[in-house]
Amino acid sequence: MRLGRDSFAGLIFLAVSLVLLVQSFGLPHLPLVPVGPGFYPRIVLIFMAVTSAALIVQDLLARRAEPADVPAPARPRRAYGLVALSFVIVALYLVLLPLLGYRIATVLFVAALQATLERPATWRQWAVFAAVAIGTSAVTYLVFERYLSVLLPRGNWTNW
Amino acid sequence: MFELLGHGLLTVLQWNYLVPLFAGTLIGVIGGALPGVTITMTIIVILPFTYGLDPLQGLAAMTGVYVGGSAGGLVTACLLGIPGTPSAIATTFDGFPMARGGAPGRAIWLGVWSSFFGGLLGGLFLILVTGPLAAIALQFGPWEYFSLFVLAMAMVAGLAESSFIKGLLSTAIGLVITVIGTDPIGSVPRFTFGSEFISGGFPFLPVLIGIFAFAQIMSDIEKIGVPKAPEAALAAQPSLKVSHLKVIGEIIGRPFLLLWSTVVGILIGVLPAIGGSAANMLAYDQAKKFSRHPERFGTGVPEGIIASESSNNANVGGSLVTIMAFGIPGDAVTAVMLGAMTIHGIQSGPLFVSQQPALAYGIYAAYILAHPLMVLILAAGALFMLQITQVRLAVLAPVVLVLCVIGAYALNNTMQSVYVLLIFGVFGYALVRGGFPLAPLILGLILGDQIEINLIRAIMTDDNPLLFFTRPISGGLLLCAALSVALAVWQHMRHQERIAREEAPDF
Repeated sequence: MRLGRDSFAGLIFLAVSLVLLVQSFGLPHLPLVPVGPGFYPRIVLIFMAVTSAALIVQDLLARRAEPADVPAPARPRRAYGLVALSFVIVALYLVLLPLLGYRIATVLFVAALQATLERPATWRQWAVFAAVAIGTSAVTYLVFERYLSVLLPRGNWTNW
Repeated sequence: MFELLGHGLLTVLQWNYLVPLFAGTLIGVIGGALPGVTITMTIIVILPFTYGLDPLQGLAAMTGVYVGGSAGGLVTACLLGIPGTPSAIATTFDGFPMARGGAPGRAIWLGVWSSFFGGLLGGLFLILVTGPLAAIALQFGPWEYFSLFVLAMAMVAGLAESSFIKGLLSTAIGLVITVIGTDPIGSVPRFTFGSEFISGGFPFLPVLIGIFAFAQIMSDIEKIGVPKAPEAALAAQPSLKVSHLKVIGEIIGRPFLLLWSTVVGILIGVLPAIGGSAANMLAYDQAKKFSRHPERFGTGVPEGIIASESSNNANVGGSLVTIMAFGIPGDAVTAVMLGAMTIHGIQSGPLFVSQQPALAYGIYAAYILAHPLMVLILAAGALFMLQITQVRLAVLAPVVLVLCVIGAYALNNTMQSVYVLLIFGVFGYALVRGGFPLAPLILGLILGDQIEINLIRAIMTDDNPLLFFTRPISGGLLLCAALSVALAVWQHMRHQERIAREEAPDF
């Protein structure tokens, strides 16, 4: 029998809860507290393990109940590739942030994500995207650093 | 009490509080009107701006966002047929047909004035009930607190629409996240695997921002390129002129509807971790049930708009009661407010109103004043809001993400919080894709530490575990929790049965 999405999720959470449960028995016991630091986590982890197991069982039972040859209902098309790419761009932004500093990294990030989500076709669109990128970086920097006294990351490479 | 309220109103009427309140209300209305941007997202976006403000300025701005956002959704709901926020879904049912039928002004202003009256009645409840409730909560010992938190989580998990088990598992995930890091009693590191990165545990706000903001934005990005249903367009610049007295008369002339929808909104608000999205649907449903002409609902009747809009704004008052009396957030928006209070070193909970009266009554005052501001903003710019909804996701998404990064970074000026933001962003999106509700997880995350502290305190005071059941209030709360779980199981089974019957092939 093939496992469904819920069973996979249940298995992952079951595994996590069991690994942490084993770990919880290695925690030290404090002399003044009647129950150790592992007492409450064990309750929570057992709760998670039981609900994960219940999710797996529920999914398996539901799959058994439905006939195998019924085609799945058509799902609307989704741009998952674009989501993955957006996550990669955010991750790159976070890598560059302490290296290039907030101002430069933010211009690059906003420009890159805009161009990824909507490919500019004309020079005018390029200009709008560039203006939004520079504007976002400049305005947020001014507002936060100058007026709200919130410090933003400086770049190790650029010192800016 | 009224003296303190008067003092609070005078304070918030000063420029240095009125400007953040106005800005918050304006941004709230815009965020509420933008389809795909929820009130939670809007409050996350303005969160970093509040770091540099004093506590009341920050909380006034957030209260403004909450009130403005709850009303802003009605603009797009009535004029475009697309709810700007989930709390305006039911407004589209009658607001859009009414606007399309040639009365866009009446539709919008029925919504605005219903929001106004519903919100103010919610405010009355907030001011009158918070103090006495907090006084009751002060009598609570650790047993009662523990049981109250368990009840809150049981109710929220039970309300998960997709699957009760997923609701429970989501709660468990939230609780497990809080046990990672140092333990709150003896400061022993737990489950850190020797890593410096998680030795202090995961900070609450970056986790919350990551889960909500990324789950929302990435879900919007998913839909890029998907053909939208053609909008039945109204005139490009519809006239919103209307006789306000007549519209107000239409609302006041239905006192039972207004009061009942407000009560529904308040009660949903008081329940932890569910908000306006449930309130407006339930109030609409109730209005339809009580109506002598339920068949007319959905064709553009004023009752539908009044029910939906008065309940979603009354819901804000209810949510604020729970956070101010018990320190339990009524929904994700108040969870962010709670986080902002913690940053400023303010302890929420039953002592909040008595120990910080200036701040508490300042919040009440901000809540009351946000309503006329919301009416003014919508009077001046309802059509402008319509223009703003044309902003493209390609522009909006990067700007919102930059503000999320600032919100996480500025908490303690370290990149660690920003990495936590991304990790939980990916995790939150995966959970949403897997059909897991986020509200129970957030509640587990918020209450986790408090549950542990109260449990250990109770055991340290008296090691008899039966006290959780034999102390009357604690036992009553646990009984309610058990009943809530049983009711949820029963409802889900009935729901499943109904789906199975509906989906059975029709021969």
